[in-house]
Amino acid sequence: MKALIKLELCNLFGLNVFRFSRDKKARRKSALLLVLWIALLALMFFYVGGLAYGLLFLGLGQIIPAYLTVLSSLLIFVFGILKAGGAIFRREGYDILCALPVSKNAVVAARLIRMYVENLLMTVAVMLPGLLVYAWNVRPHLKFYLAAVLWALSVPVIPMVGSVLIGTLVTGVTCRMRHKSVVAAGLSILAVFAIFYGCSRISALEDSFNPAILKELSVFILGLLEKIYPPAVWGGAAVVDGNLVICLLWLFVSLAVFLAAAMGVSLCFHGICRRLFSSRARHDYEMKELKEQSVLISLCRREFQRYFSSTVYVTNTILGPIMGCVLSATLLAVGRKRLERILPFPVDVGEFLPFALAGGFCMMTVTATSISMEGKNWWILKSLPLTAKSILDAKILMNLLLFLPFYILSELFTFLALRPGIVGFIWLLLIPAELILFSCVYGIVVNLHFPVLEWENEVSVVKQSVSAMLGGMGGFILAILGAVGLWMVPTGYEDIYKGLLCLAIFLVTAFLYRKDIGG
Amino acid sequence: MLILEHLIKHYKGSGKGITDLSLHISPGDIYGFIGHNGAGKTTALKCVAGIHDFDSGSIQIHGMDIRENPLECKRQIAYIPDNPDLYEYLTGIQYLNFIADVFQVGAKERAKRIQMYGEQFQIVSSLGDLISTYSHGMKQKLALISAFIHRPKLLLLDEPFVGLDPKAAVVLKNNMRSVCAEGGAIFFSTHVLDVAERLCNKVAIIRDGTLVASGGMEEIVKQGQSLEDIFMEVAER
Repeated sequence: MKALIKLELCNLFGLNVFRFSRDKKARRKSALLLVLWIALLALMFFYVGGLAYGLLFLGLGQIIPAYLTVLSSLLIFVFGILKAGGAIFRREGYDILCALPVSKNAVVAARLIRMYVENLLMTVAVMLPGLLVYAWNVRPHLKFYLAAVLWALSVPVIPMVGSVLIGTLVTGVTCRMRHKSVVAAGLSILAVFAIFYGCSRISALEDSFNPAILKELSVFILGLLEKIYPPAVWGGAAVVDGNLVICLLWLFVSLAVFLAAAMGVSLCFHGICRRLFSSRARHDYEMKELKEQSVLISLCRREFQRYFSSTVYVTNTILGPIMGCVLSATLLAVGRKRLERILPFPVDVGEFLPFALAGGFCMMTVTATSISMEGKNWWILKSLPLTAKSILDAKILMNLLLFLPFYILSELFTFLALRPGIVGFIWLLLIPAELILFSCVYGIVVNLHFPVLEWENEVSVVKQSVSAMLGGMGGFILAILGAVGLWMVPTGYEDIYKGLLCLAIFLVTAFLYRKDIGG
Repeated sequence: MLILEHLIKHYKGSGKGITDLSLHISPGDIYGFIGHNGAGKTTALKCVAGIHDFDSGSIQIHGMDIRENPLECKRQIAYIPDNPDLYEYLTGIQYLNFIADVFQVGAKERAKRIQMYGEQFQIVSSLGDLISTYSHGMKQKLALISAFIHRPKLLLLDEPFVGLDPKAAVVLKNNMRSVCAEGGAIFFSTHVLDVAERLCNKVAIIRDGTLVASGGMEEIVKQGQSLEDIFMEVAER
């Protein structure tokens, strides 16, 4: 068991490669990945620290632990659903482990512990800055720190177990299906949207918020948090009170839940793995007429087949375009006026919506990891008489074609909801289209510079690689910056700003394409 | 057909690679490439296939330099690695169609060739199944069919007999001889010295990245000795 846990944890965040690789390039990549993680943590520190400071400023310091618990639990739960199936039932080393004298309980527990450690780090990143700000201002008793440590240890367990159970259910249901990756991705995305919907329904209670009860704001927010995730409020209160007994008790409860989940998953572990990894060959093929296609179409078709063969690849990249559609459909259903009323700050939805749509579409591009996803198959493309340009063009084209139906749908919904004038319509079409094109080109350029071709688990490429972190969100960040710029532009100059921005994005995209892809 | 002149390739950090490798492979040659594990066989083959770049020297395929005309060179060759990692998410026929599209083999011609090689390697009935369901030997057969489908002039094969059943091994040997009879050439690595001795007309032995012997099989293997004896003698020296 100890050996299995060591095996699971030794290359967390590429540490083992960094320690032992003699290849300077691999070491550099691992170091860069570590630096990116640290930068992300630093950003999180500033964000959560600021949030906690804001709550303290409003006199709501006592809700900080509960608030941060809900935040980290939701993050763990949502991201966990998207990757739990792949993390628990991954093929990497499965055959070797089966041949070793280790129990399936130990294998499952080791894989769960790896997930727990990753999630614990996320919890610490979310909770530590907030609790430090709280402690700096309130100067609590020593018991607060002990209670906080005990509580932080137990926070990841329940949301993680929840996501693992959903991931197991989805994997178990789909493992016998022919198109299991697509169905599993669809079910995972549905689960994530169900959570978002549930949270939004609970948050909708805010409509009944009465400013007159400002002094009871903390009670109100705690009530809201309790509706989202009750243990967060119980534990948060225990941390504030320094109640070690409750925190310790909750740690034991979490341990029991963890063990129960490990035992539950291990009951179906081999069954699901066998179905997932077993081959179902029919051996009944008869030669038929074959069709000839152009190289680009053939390459693009293969890109689609690669894409839809991976659950984690699909779930990680299709969520953005779906959110774009959901956003525009919501606008159509709710109406512009009501949406502007619901939003916490005054904003002209029509002006900012192109950026919001683009941001949704560009949350994680397919191209940012499409070279890395070739993995051990990279030799095939390298040995074929293909130019790098044709290979990369096919990857960009696939990403654009994948997003196209979502783009058309969201544009249609938005057009019907806003009924913009001719200029507004042009921006509505152009800004998301340009940002999508930019993010596809930028993604592939980043992946070209930071490819990871030696991997065992797709999760490490799609979620944890340098390219995914640097390249996947390029368009998203640009959309946010574009919207911030628009907010700062004086009234009456919006169209000029948008025109210049579109020109600049076009030029940058063309430059990147010509420089690295060879237009 | 294939000329390697003073080829040097070193991997950064490890110090391994190949040093000053020169080989001349003519049309009709079946050229065996032997050496212990890590000697540099795969590295040399990957350089010729255009998968790895190299530090210095030159590689000419059919009179064209691989660095100057990579696409034209690659159109003349087919490369099969020692462990054929194929696209597991495609079916066998989809993979062959993809390769045929890239080499622009006509629809009727590809169907005819797939049928012929498929029957020879006894894999036709499995072509509709996902490659992920294939055994190692079946993947090797599929990779070999994909190599033969566009009628390459130069075949680069890394351990091509590993995983093949006896019948498929015979089929492969026959096809290798056919390629050479039609004016093509084959450059392949192997650890099976008996096969190399019987199949090849030329052989090269590499040790720690350096060529230690090369030439016609009759020049290398003298009377009363086997290729195995020569290899052991050279490798131990």
